[in-house]
Amino acid sequence: MQTILDVQGIHTFIGQYHILQGVDVRVPAGSITALLGRNGAGKTTTLKSILGLTPPRQGKVILDGREVQGMRSFDIAAMGIGFVPEHRAIFRDLSVEENLKLAERAKGDYVRKRDFIFDLFPDLKRLIALPGTSLSGGQQQMLAIARALVADNNLLLIDEPSEGLAPVIIEHMMSVIRQLSAQSTVVLVEQNFLVASKLAEYYVIIEEGRSVRSGMMKDLVSDKAAIHRYLGAA
Amino acid sequence: MSTFFRKNLLPLATLIVIIIFFLAAAQGMNSQDFVITLLRGLSVGAVTFLVASGFSLIFGLLDVLNLAHGTLFMIGAYIGWTVFVRPDTFVDLLTPLALALSGFTLRDVYPLLSDRIRLSLSMKRILPWALILVSALLFILVLPRYPIAGWNLDNYAQSPVTYSYMADQGTRLPPPTVAFDQISPALAIGGLLLVSLLGSFGLSLFDQSARRSPQLTWRSYASFVILLFIGLITFIFNDALTNFLLGLNANWLFFIAVIVATLSGAGLGALMEMTLIRPLYSRPIYQLMLTIGLSAIGVQIVQAVWGRPEFIMPKPTLFNGSGASCPATNFSSWWQGNCSTILLLGGRVRVYNEILIPIIGVLVLIAVWILLQRTRLGMIIRAGVQDREMVEALGINVRRAFTIVFALGVGLATLGGALAAPSMGLSNAMGESLLLDALIALAIGGLTSYPGAALGSLLVGLIQQFMIQYGQIGISIPFTSLVLKPTPPIVPASTVLLMVIILLILPNGLLGKKE
Repeated sequence: MQTILDVQGIHTFIGQYHILQGVDVRVPAGSITALLGRNGAGKTTTLKSILGLTPPRQGKVILDGREVQGMRSFDIAAMGIGFVPEHRAIFRDLSVEENLKLAERAKGDYVRKRDFIFDLFPDLKRLIALPGTSLSGGQQQMLAIARALVADNNLLLIDEPSEGLAPVIIEHMMSVIRQLSAQSTVVLVEQNFLVASKLAEYYVIIEEGRSVRSGMMKDLVSDKAAIHRYLGAA
Repeated sequence: MSTFFRKNLLPLATLIVIIIFFLAAAQGMNSQDFVITLLRGLSVGAVTFLVASGFSLIFGLLDVLNLAHGTLFMIGAYIGWTVFVRPDTFVDLLTPLALALSGFTLRDVYPLLSDRIRLSLSMKRILPWALILVSALLFILVLPRYPIAGWNLDNYAQSPVTYSYMADQGTRLPPPTVAFDQISPALAIGGLLLVSLLGSFGLSLFDQSARRSPQLTWRSYASFVILLFIGLITFIFNDALTNFLLGLNANWLFFIAVIVATLSGAGLGALMEMTLIRPLYSRPIYQLMLTIGLSAIGVQIVQAVWGRPEFIMPKPTLFNGSGASCPATNFSSWWQGNCSTILLLGGRVRVYNEILIPIIGVLVLIAVWILLQRTRLGMIIRAGVQDREMVEALGINVRRAFTIVFALGVGLATLGGALAAPSMGLSNAMGESLLLDALIALAIGGLTSYPGAALGSLLVGLIQQFMIQYGQIGISIPFTSLVLKPTPPIVPASTVLLMVIILLILPNGLLGKKE
């Protein structure tokens, strides 16, 4: 199977802290891959290192066959990565529509993708003129994902999509992410193992800044001992 | 709408109390004093706003407290003066300036070049310094030999003071003639180009965060070629350009002077951001020290070039008339006589200071507001103020937005300087007090709020001018027969007092957002 993203032994520092100490992630095209691990293991930093937001000092990040480590973040993102960050990072001073328009990479992206986005999230159409501040957590999460869809991205990096959401909304998010994976590859950071195991086909476990185990999700689900060892009580 | 009132109850209440106080205190004033003082307040407020808004834009997006902003305001005034009073000097400067700046436009090329250089670590540390040193030495060698028609600070008859005075009287002193006799033109041009290339490459090596861009296109070289072209064209057509400017009507020349001051400020701002501020984004304390240092250096340069004595900048002829028909009684008679003053409600109002400057202030307010609210750049700025990382993750070059905002902010300051020069006069110290006023205005209005900058500047301007006026006529305390006469030292103190009171009630200022 073709690999769209290949992270090879990256080391990342934040300030003087050696956060990532050798992380490997292989993401097959068209799949959903979950990054698992405990709080503070380095999952978010891995996503940010891929994008160059926290540039890795060592190792390679190969995107579509091209080494991108050391490139400027916006150039990496412009190669077709949609980023849905932890805590959503909705722009408060921008309206919902402006939040989406800002994500345009070519003029007219928003108009072109509008119907597709409102099909996935009918709520957003109603909220279009409101400022980003007035959205609920679930609505913010919808907007954050929608924002990553405005440009034609073939890789989506989604950080903690279920965090702080009501179960009904989590269900909705999961179905949306499953729908999206038909068109683009998804890398998911997810604390909630139940959500991750239902969505992802592949997994990578990160522990204390190192990738320690990876493979097919269905193998992990049946391995209760491993789940307990790496992820705590599951 | 009702939610708007509920959410902003405290700021609105504060504002209303300020207005009530203001109206109560203004009771004892006759309408003529009131109009003049109000307009003067607007004028001071507009100039303060030009400094405060730029400062606030830069701080909002870049988190840089640019303490050199007042000095840049002053430099704007001196640049405006030079173009207006000594256009020949300005034209002579164009070639060396264009050449000296050209290297800095190659910033996309340098990271690739530095990747190619294979040197030991210690040599890599020394290299930037060595390049800058060589560049500086070359600069010191070449520039003094480059013929630039200037003035003579030691000779009163050829000093800026005299040139200003003569220009104000409507006669221009014949510009001194200079020629290439100490250096050949080719050597001078080549030398300046080398200065620029070495210096900008050296500075770019300090920027550790510089990362390679995907590939070089013609765009990476376009600005360099354009600047080179400008340098050569202005070199060839130097005399023709000088004669053209000298032959221009003073109103047009003033307009050009203001534009040039604004654009030079923008260019200076962009240069500052790309070379000096950029390596220090993660070190706020160093930024403070850098901008304070730049401010001091700016003052020294201005003293060395234009001298210490204060001098005036003539007003454009449109606002400088004093014929028999002056002061004008209405705007059509002003238009015919170009009077410097106009009678409004019985008060004599200076047209340039008290009508033109506030109007320009309002126009700038609206223009920047439109830029922020209606353009994509504005969207990037508003989003970047909150979360730069996320904007970059969307594939947007935030750094370019940083450079543009810095250029815009400094451009607004130099625009303010050039505009204020005819009313304030030029002095080395004109920037310091204004920066202080601008900071007070921002504290009152809200540090990163653009409307807050406008409101705060307005309040600062009005309070200052009304306090000066009250110093002469006294404040009649309502419902009593008491009359309070503030002494002159109260004038600067009054704005600080207002700031303290507002910050006690609203720690984020009138329109600032809670962090």
